[in-house]
Amino acid sequence: MSATDDRPVAARQQVPSCHSDAGGRQAVAGSPVVALAGAPNVGKSTLFNTLCRTRRDVGNWPGTTVEVGRGAWRVADGDARDVELVDLPGAYSLDPVSPDEELTRALLLDVAPQERPDAVVVVASAVHLTRCLYLVAQLRETSQRVVVAVTMADVAARRGLTVDAHALATALGVPVVMLDPRRRAGAEALAHAVSDVLVAQPPAPRPVPSGLPMDDSGLALADDRFGWVAAAVAAGTVRDRPAGRTRSDRIDRWVTAPFVGPLVFLATMWLVFQTTTRIAAPFQNALDHFFSGPVAQAARAGLGAVGLGHGWVADFVVDGLIAGVGLLLTFVPLMTLMFVLLALLEDSGYMARAAVVTDRTMRRIGLPGRAFLPLVVGFGCNVPAISATRVLPNARHRVLTALLVPFTSCSARLTVYILVASIFFPHNVGNVVFVMYVVSILLVVLVGLALRRTLWRSVGEEPLLLDLPPYQRPTARITAVVTWVRLRGFLRTAGGIIVAAVSVVWLMQAIPVQGNGSFADVPVRDSLYAATAGTVAPVFDPAGFGNWHATGALMVGFVAKEAVISSWAQTYATQHPGDLHHPGALGTAVKADFARSSHGHPAAAAWAFLVFLLAYTPCVATLAAQRREIGMRWTWFGIGVQLLVAWTLAVAVFQIGRLLG
Amino acid sequence: MTARCVADVPVGTVATLDEPAVDPLRRRRLAELGLRCGAEVHILARTAGGGRVIALADDRVAVDLGTARALVVRVPADQDRVVS
Repeated sequence: MSATDDRPVAARQQVPSCHSDAGGRQAVAGSPVVALAGAPNVGKSTLFNTLCRTRRDVGNWPGTTVEVGRGAWRVADGDARDVELVDLPGAYSLDPVSPDEELTRALLLDVAPQERPDAVVVVASAVHLTRCLYLVAQLRETSQRVVVAVTMADVAARRGLTVDAHALATALGVPVVMLDPRRRAGAEALAHAVSDVLVAQPPAPRPVPSGLPMDDSGLALADDRFGWVAAAVAAGTVRDRPAGRTRSDRIDRWVTAPFVGPLVFLATMWLVFQTTTRIAAPFQNALDHFFSGPVAQAARAGLGAVGLGHGWVADFVVDGLIAGVGLLLTFVPLMTLMFVLLALLEDSGYMARAAVVTDRTMRRIGLPGRAFLPLVVGFGCNVPAISATRVLPNARHRVLTALLVPFTSCSARLTVYILVASIFFPHNVGNVVFVMYVVSILLVVLVGLALRRTLWRSVGEEPLLLDLPPYQRPTARITAVVTWVRLRGFLRTAGGIIVAAVSVVWLMQAIPVQGNGSFADVPVRDSLYAATAGTVAPVFDPAGFGNWHATGALMVGFVAKEAVISSWAQTYATQHPGDLHHPGALGTAVKADFARSSHGHPAAAAWAFLVFLLAYTPCVATLAAQRREIGMRWTWFGIGVQLLVAWTLAVAVFQIGRLLG
Repeated sequence: MTARCVADVPVGTVATLDEPAVDPLRRRRLAELGLRCGAEVHILARTAGGGRVIALADDRVAVDLGTARALVVRVPADQDRVVS
């Protein structure tokens, strides 16, 4: 397995994914194809959403678009002419240094001439015109039809820079349109310009000076293009005052500074963490009670009305399907808050600064600075943390981060830590929990280092070279669109896997394999669930907790850590302890079982159990999120790594603890 | 004019970029971001991790310490037009 995708670019662009589903209508077959290209973070995806009336992921930091999006754009009213608009990943030039830029080049230049777009709209920021127009210089060396769409004119104007669209168009030799996609202004003028160029003859290519020295990197040719761009910008812009320090610079002086910058970053992360866990918790509980209470009762009543109120059908519907859907929906408040906060951080421009501040630290484990965000969020809940990996523009970084997130100790695991610590170490519960969080951080670092030195050898060596966008006030519309796109994607992908897993556990507990029980009316100890746990339990003998009760709890923990304690109690036919610090009958039973399975070393077995619980697969919802973000192959790889690390560590902890103790 | 790397000049310095001491591929990427020979840069801030935030007219680029060491600038001998 390789950490890179070795398939040809043309094959990769066909991969369906969440990112490419913008939810809009598609153009009719045979429509002209218009590509949206441009440097990163100039507003291409925002413009795409405006033109196609779709909802594609956007953000105010370089690299938001990592795949191709397609949609229908109506450019003329009279005869209702559609074009197929293709949103390309950001690229400073057609000389790629990343897979995303490679994709842009492939679609604009490397394909056969008849397969190239009929026109290219190059989106250029008025604030960074020189940087944005290099791509135009390269396209103008072909006979490609080009329209330049200039965005962020308002920001440029505040800095004393005015773009003269007519003069710029003359200098570049292509139409130039001013627009503001964030406020949906200028779209009509762009439609007219594109309609016009589509019916016009392709332009004559810009002549490239002959006699330029030909070196491998084409630096002489690049210098010629930069000169051409500089002349065009000089002709097409008017500056009424010299460039000076801006409000963004004044903020950055503190936000990226050596000491204050990390503090601001940690405070921001703390706020994200607190908001996603504490504010969401009451909503999660309310939804949980709603589904296990009124919804379950209503379902039973409804089934009763048709004569199915008792028996396995009602049990399956209520305890399997409804419980599964309920579990999925309890994540909605958490995910919504997470996505809103992410959207605000991205749209404001802060995310690029966070990347700068954390770059050096994260680079040590092969990740860029902004990977810190999903890892911090993971301590609240792994599910939104996996989704948050999309703040990383590099696909290899996303995969590596998504594989590390499950090692961050989510709040659901905390309840089990407290219970186990209360049973075995009643006077040191706080210390035990603290140690588990330290172990979690160490696991992230050590597994990250191990992966970096194996599959990700080349990752993390790229220097930081990051365009800092100006800060801007986030808009409600963009925040709402981004949040909805991401939430919808999560529900679509995670829904099936969560409901299926909950239903399978219910089914296993309903099938009798011994005793006098019948289907859906069987003590847990006589069920297929107990038999399966008993079969798996010997695997944990070297870790000291090879008993079916503990194994069964871990099996349920695979579905959701929130259900571990209740199902554990169920296997002993005891009640869920209302106060985790006083485990009562459950504690007595667990302690006795661990003493037996560890041959007199229950404390060492308890530590081993805690370490295994921390390191193995967090829950099916996390797996669903991983599958969505990094694909099934890497999800399976992650499960393997987690189980291997968890089992090895648990055995090591027990064996060392046994010798010491 | 003295030639120094960006990491060695004080924050606030305005200087002119010289040929960067990097491989051609990175040199082209630096150039695409505006960091090319002859460009006037303003060293705006030192970042956590030792990098720099560099202003090129209206553009702002953050670079890490390694890149800041590779970027060579010519600083006026009278020093250095420090901008407040």
